[in-house]
Amino acid sequence: MNDMVLSARDLRKHFRSGDAVLEVLRGVDLDVSAGESVSIRGESGSGKSTLLNLLAGLDSPDSGTVSWGGSTDTGASRRAAYLGMVFQSYYLVPELDAYQNVLLSRRILGGLDKAARARARALLGEVGLLGRAHHLPSQLSGGERQRVALARALMNEPKLIVADEPTGNLDERTGNEVIDLLLGLCGSANTALILVTHNQAHAAKTGRSLLLTQGVLGPA
Amino acid sequence: MPWYLHLAARQLFPTGRRFPFFTIISALGVALGVALLVIVMSVMGGFAYEIRHLIVDTEGEVQVKARGPIADYASVVKRVESVPGVAAATPYASDAVMIKFGDRPAFPMLRGLDLATVGKVTPLDRFLIAGSLQDMDDDSVILSDQIAASIGANVGDTIEVYSPLIIEKLSADSVFLPRQVRIVGILHIGHQQLDSSTVYGTLRLAQDLYGLGSLVHGINVRLQPGVNEDDAVARINALLPQDIRAFSWEDSFSEFLWVLNLERGMIFFLLLFIVIVAAFSVTSSLLISVVRKTREIGLLGALGGRPIHVAACFCAQGLFIGILGTLAGLALGFTALAFRNNVVLWVARVTQREEVLRRFYQFSELPSHTSPSTVALIVVLTIVISTLAGLLPAWRAARLKPVEALRNE
Repeated sequence: MNDMVLSARDLRKHFRSGDAVLEVLRGVDLDVSAGESVSIRGESGSGKSTLLNLLAGLDSPDSGTVSWGGSTDTGASRRAAYLGMVFQSYYLVPELDAYQNVLLSRRILGGLDKAARARARALLGEVGLLGRAHHLPSQLSGGERQRVALARALMNEPKLIVADEPTGNLDERTGNEVIDLLLGLCGSANTALILVTHNQAHAAKTGRSLLLTQGVLGPA
Repeated sequence: MPWYLHLAARQLFPTGRRFPFFTIISALGVALGVALLVIVMSVMGGFAYEIRHLIVDTEGEVQVKARGPIADYASVVKRVESVPGVAAATPYASDAVMIKFGDRPAFPMLRGLDLATVGKVTPLDRFLIAGSLQDMDDDSVILSDQIAASIGANVGDTIEVYSPLIIEKLSADSVFLPRQVRIVGILHIGHQQLDSSTVYGTLRLAQDLYGLGSLVHGINVRLQPGVNEDDAVARINALLPQDIRAFSWEDSFSEFLWVLNLERGMIFFLLLFIVIVAAFSVTSSLLISVVRKTREIGLLGALGGRPIHVAACFCAQGLFIGILGTLAGLALGFTALAFRNNVVLWVARVTQREEVLRRFYQFSELPSHTSPSTVALIVVLTIVISTLAGLLPAWRAARLKPVEALRNE
């Protein structure tokens, strides 16, 4: 039996805009098991990022539950150890070099030691940036920045990585490289992946493709 | 190091940037406030320190006085000198006189000294710039330099001394001639008030002029080094009759010292506002930083950073700026103090007011005495104020929800 890394049950979320009420999620169910890769596609404004924020514990649903490994504790402290995040805009800290950006996840989690530093260097090696470890984000290309962000997401050996359109700011070739790298790294670490993307080809590379329409998640 | 301190340090001193503009400008504001506080408080402390030394050097650490003149002063001196911690005691008589050289008068205080014992209590020799204390007898005096200059007299000249007793006798239709005394020395104490109003003679001369007979006005006491003045005063008073009391120099000049302390306190309070204004500038800069870094703050939350740690990151930036500004301010302040006399003399020379400066200043050099407790107070207050300056930005940063911060464009 597969270990369940993430379980979402009957997630509902609405937003108010003046008098109008926008039902973004209308009862979303999702189970992701260890090492599984799942893509979620949908039109712009369909609620993909909202869903991802709920799954990552960054936002609270109106109703429904999210549990990680059977526990509904999705607070900040647990998130640091359990979950890695990759964003469309990389979100690297501009004052830190690539190596320090990767280490930042471990600093926040706590337990920064020799082994952690070695892991950060190893991850930079795996994403092909060991030679640029001490370059600032401003000295890296978009693809390189996203690769640093991948290494940062994997730093704490999370059970799950959620990636919100990680190729949205990259050209097609670099985007393909980043997706292949992401899937490869998650596969080799047996880390589950939830990938939100517009790109059908990228979605096709994941083990399971889902489509979010009208606030409901179903098979693509 | 906790991640929020590491990130705070890196945000102030980003990797690869030699001149972190925001950090330097913010720290400079704090540094100027600290430097000014150190300079002004040290110079004011210097005045107080010099005054203390001058008072002790001319009056002794302890003064013994009675409501009127003291009779049988020799036995009082003996008793005082028997107290543990007392090095020596010397009697004195002091009152106002009029002196005249040719047609030029002056109205100083004439202080009569016991030549046999005065050297053990007040080192007058040190202040002599002409003549000698050894030449002094009952028909001679030593003038302070400003009085000598004002009446145009010099060592070897003879001056006339009129005492209050003579004026008293004049009103009783008696004729008393002024006392003719030679000038055997000129001294410069270094305190404008003393240099402009003091004449020293023998105790016998003063007793004659004031009609005291064998009485004296008081006794100056020198303590052994390291002896606490208040303890010594208590021990001396325990041996003296109730109508004769000993006072420490601080008691004798308590009102003057209170005014000095009040001045120092007010100046400190006012100058502290410079640090507070600099702290507001730090707050403003950090608030801009919070707005600029909204998405980074969201990222920190997404990576598992707790709001209190995000707040600590910005508070720590205020703390680091405070520490940096304080260190720079101390360096700047002490450097300025080291060259203070050169600066003052240069300004006086440029404005051609060197003489005016010497005439109106209490001391011939700009004094400085830095009290470690004052420096500690400046350091602690500056660092606390700078850290508090980071509180508002920290609070704003902590309130940002990661999901909203990440959505921020």
